[in-house]
Amino acid sequence: MFESISTEGDGENRMTVKCRKEAVITMLSFLKKTGFDHLALISCVDRLNDNVLELVYILSSYGGDVAMQKLNILLKTTIPRENPQFYTATEIFGNASPYERELHELYGILFRGHPRLTPLFLEREYDIPPFRKDFDTRKYVKDVFDQIPFVDDKKGRT
Amino acid sequence: MTKKSGKMDRNNIGKWFKSPGNMGQKYSLHALYFCTGCGIIEIPPTITTRWDAERFGVIPVATPRQANLFLITGYVSVKTLRYIIRSYEQMPEPKYTVGFGSCPINGGMYWDSYNTIKHLDKYIPVDGWIAGCMPRPEAVFVAVTHLWTLIDKGMATGYLKYREHYAKYRRNQEKILGELEWPPLFSKEEENEKSREKVAG
Repeated sequence: MFESISTEGDGENRMTVKCRKEAVITMLSFLKKTGFDHLALISCVDRLNDNVLELVYILSSYGGDVAMQKLNILLKTTIPRENPQFYTATEIFGNASPYERELHELYGILFRGHPRLTPLFLEREYDIPPFRKDFDTRKYVKDVFDQIPFVDDKKGRT
Repeated sequence: MTKKSGKMDRNNIGKWFKSPGNMGQKYSLHALYFCTGCGIIEIPPTITTRWDAERFGVIPVATPRQANLFLITGYVSVKTLRYIIRSYEQMPEPKYTVGFGSCPINGGMYWDSYNTIKHLDKYIPVDGWIAGCMPRPEAVFVAVTHLWTLIDKGMATGYLKYREHYAKYRRNQEKILGELEWPPLFSKEEENEKSREKVAG
């Protein structure tokens, strides 16, 4: 399980950890016990050419010595683009909940075990989740917003 | 008070006798600032001592029911539009709307965004626009003085237009927002409109 983990530091204050998706929850739990107890962000990158979605967990620390407090850990993993599913991190970091709801509606990732995966920002329904790279915003605007007519007035009032 | 402003007041006496209602509306604009987007950052200096909006009779109020000037400051997302319409319908008439910044005019830098409506005047009537990204507080006062002129000439009639074409506005709103959870403000039928057109034609 852990043999595929690769780490890479940029020499300053950022360390990138890449691992298989099965190891992510274990890694998060391990890193939290090590002292990286603050989940700053869960982000996602749509890699259309590789046909994967890349999840990025950014962790930092409030405890430990100065070197540890300066260090940010970027835990990266990839999941398939079609029918994307992943496990929730809310059991380990409670504040993962809104980030996962956001990714659920903007990228369409289903987080298994999430207590309340309801819409967070969006009001409308979209065929393709709008932050995916194959979502054509210009076409969407033409099809939806530009189709609504202006309210004309015979008297030419403003 | 300087001599010049005293003179101006005397010139206005005729207007006061002619249409005291209009003059009252003009000089006591109670503004409701709808804090969407980045435009709201220009409003605190506008209403406080630096640019003191009260010199022009513009005063911020807490609720839509006390307001008659509606300032939409910044881009309007689909979710915000619902509350803009609700606030607008709660305001007592006569009411004036001013779109602040380029985003409510035609989308501005969000012209191809998936989630911002592009033209605000498709959903509620707008009496005036302030172009710019962002307009400075002086532009608010230019807009207010223009609005005075429009009120004087009886051209700031967005609320009448809303009354008359309510069916069309409501249809546009429902196209974007789906089913609206509040009852229609006026009659949803277009019969009044058609009969009026016949009379006019």
